[in-house]
Amino acid sequence: MAEIKSMEHATLKVPYEVLNKKFRISQKNVDREMDQIHNITKDVEKIVGGKSILPTVTDVGTLVENVVQRIHVLKRKADESFSEEINAGLACKRKLQHLKIITFPDSHIGYDAWQASIEQWKMVRMDRIVIEHLLRRGYYETAECLAKKSDIRNLTNLDIFHISREVEEDLLNHKTLKCVLWCMDNKSKLRKINSTMEFSLRVQEFVELVRIDNRMEAVKYARKYFQGFEKTQLREICQCMALLAYPTNTDTEPYKSLYSGQRWKDLVLNFRNENYRLFQLSIQSLLSVAIQAGLSSLKTPQCYTENCKNLHCPVCQKDFNQIAKNLPYSHCVQSRLICRITGLPLNEHNLPMMLPNGQIFGQLAIPQITREDGAVVCPITNTKFSNPKVEKVFVM
Amino acid sequence: MQNADAEALNAVEKELDRVIYKLKDIRENAAAEISDVATLMEELQKVLNQAELEMTGTINTSTQVDAPSDVDDPMAEEADMQVEMEPAKPRLNELQVKHVLETLQKANERLQRLSAEHRDLHGAVSKVGKVIDRNFVSDFTATTRIDALQDEENLMLLNKVMAKHYCRQGMDDVARLLIKESGMPEDMAQEVFDSESSFAEIYRIWKGIQQQELGPALEWAERHSEQLIAKNSTLEFKLHRLAFLQIMSRGISAQSEAIAYARQNFGKFIDRFEHEIPNLMGCFIYLPMGIDNSPYKHLISPQVWMEASYVFMKDACHTLGISKNSALSVVINAGCTALPALLNIKQVMQSRQVLSIWNARDELPIEIDLDPEYRYHSIFACPILRQQTTEDNPPKKLTCGHVISNDALHKLSNGHILKCPYCPVEQNADDAVRIYF
Repeated sequence: MAEIKSMEHATLKVPYEVLNKKFRISQKNVDREMDQIHNITKDVEKIVGGKSILPTVTDVGTLVENVVQRIHVLKRKADESFSEEINAGLACKRKLQHLKIITFPDSHIGYDAWQASIEQWKMVRMDRIVIEHLLRRGYYETAECLAKKSDIRNLTNLDIFHISREVEEDLLNHKTLKCVLWCMDNKSKLRKINSTMEFSLRVQEFVELVRIDNRMEAVKYARKYFQGFEKTQLREICQCMALLAYPTNTDTEPYKSLYSGQRWKDLVLNFRNENYRLFQLSIQSLLSVAIQAGLSSLKTPQCYTENCKNLHCPVCQKDFNQIAKNLPYSHCVQSRLICRITGLPLNEHNLPMMLPNGQIFGQLAIPQITREDGAVVCPITNTKFSNPKVEKVFVM
Repeated sequence: MQNADAEALNAVEKELDRVIYKLKDIRENAAAEISDVATLMEELQKVLNQAELEMTGTINTSTQVDAPSDVDDPMAEEADMQVEMEPAKPRLNELQVKHVLETLQKANERLQRLSAEHRDLHGAVSKVGKVIDRNFVSDFTATTRIDALQDEENLMLLNKVMAKHYCRQGMDDVARLLIKESGMPEDMAQEVFDSESSFAEIYRIWKGIQQQELGPALEWAERHSEQLIAKNSTLEFKLHRLAFLQIMSRGISAQSEAIAYARQNFGKFIDRFEHEIPNLMGCFIYLPMGIDNSPYKHLISPQVWMEASYVFMKDACHTLGISKNSALSVVINAGCTALPALLNIKQVMQSRQVLSIWNARDELPIEIDLDPEYRYHSIFACPILRQQTTEDNPPKKLTCGHVISNDALHKLSNGHILKCPYCPVEQNADDAVRIYF
């Protein structure tokens, strides 16, 4: 398997879902207009239908005029909708082309330039992955700023998540309207993934009515909105109805948590998750997946042994060291040795040499730790050996 | 890159292109067709209007409505018809009614066909999604641990690492926003800015060189001159050479300035760059016609600046003992290399019903082939047991110099006598010494 196949699903899938949605919207728009026209036709048939008297020219004229108007509306709407669809398709194509950059080297450019363009692409990829993670964490400003600075806005899903940002802000202000609208907007898809988002919102609205002691309204609200959910959410509905009997400062569960302000924050997280499921994205951000794989492939037992650490090794650094704690170590069946002084690999050009204390360094590093008087100081243990025997070792 | 990538992308592109092509087709077709239908209906409307006008105009003395003879629109016949009418309430006759109905019917049919044509695209559109799903991986569950990046503490550490990275890249505002939005504790935030300040300077200078600005770089090189010479770095000379050429490229008027610059700065490089400096002096011959047109023009090509910025980044990081790449970028790039391999092995293991490749062991199931520059630690794998050595099973050097693991040594020795598996030396097993890489 290759890098793009493994990592770029969301890059293409999200714009595809947008395209799909636009497709369905324009079908709906066009069909709605057609229905209108069709209805007027029916009207004409109706006045004509009374066989005994023929219709007046005025009546028919007005109806035909209506048809003409509707056709003009249809023309405008169809054009708008289809254009939006095409734009969604082109947005998807743009991302596809960005991914193609590194699969086909341009035969006219030299090796260095090709390497440079891969480097550049990888930097962009990293920013893309980070932006996706920032969006998932709800750090919208940071994501915006980074996309602007790196000039990669059209390669991200920022525009799509703009809507979710508004919904989240609305929820954090204890308002449900935008989220309800979002649920309506995506009704069929949400039903397909068995989402309980709308129900959670309805419960919250109910709780808010009870909280302000408007219990009659709450009951009416429940009658109106809970009906559709009784098959799947009966238990929760019962709990909600029982809530009517409890004061807002109750300590009894589950009523205490129904009243809790935390529920709003949970709604935000719930919404975010559902939004990802809607686009069929994985639960974890690509950044966290990549970081776990990366940390594991770099992690060695030395990273967790004092005085074996390497300043340049990310896993030896404090933050990643902590994050990588529970991750598996890298696997290695073939020795790969690196001199701790020069950072150069140990091989036939740089033979491994052993000091009397068993510490191994590269042949090329020995002059660096040998003093003028022939004494050698081990940089690891700080032991001084005067004129030591430095032995070659053989590693298979 | 990889063939599989290209194939996957091509498969998606093919389907996507088909959809876009068809959509464009439909948009065009729809525009023409709807306009057509609109004209049809407008004409019907026009005729009806006219008929109404004329009929109400000829106040019930005549029931005859004369059609405008030059009109050959579909409604012409209608106007020819005798229209039965009462005063001010003209009515259509049956034939006319039939015509109106037919026209409407036809319009409806044509429009419906358009709608159907668009609806038929559904298959093609959803095929794009299917091809994406088939060719790309969206499920990472078996290659990650849920507990690694789930708790808030580790996620905050990750925020810190990201902030550090963008600080390094000179995007302080990104780092600052991240700190604000994530509510990072004060002490962590402080650490972010402290830790990367030395690199931030390097990064600024590096950017400067790419924009052909040498001042800060020269100043930095001067400050670290001794360390650079000790490392046999060519950086300082390369920077002075660029500065010299920058003066030279201003043309003949800058000649004396260039000479002064060379006298002042090239002295200390004369030993190490005995070929390059005469070369530079040769430029003076071509100064009147401009270096662009001289055999020395390669000295002022944009690549020279790229090279200088690269050498600067490399040598400066080396001198200060900081790494060229940020921890975040190293880990992410390593992860991007590791993921495809891990996903592959997952497929293999799951097809053989080996569940969970990740959680059960404390080691990855396969070796990841990382770039040599991402190797930070020595790893010794015992050539006999094919296992990494550990504290409990450390590497040992036999008297002949060969290294094997402690466990292997015990397995191979017979009492105290050990025969080296690689050379014919017999020795006392107790003479082997523990070594440290």
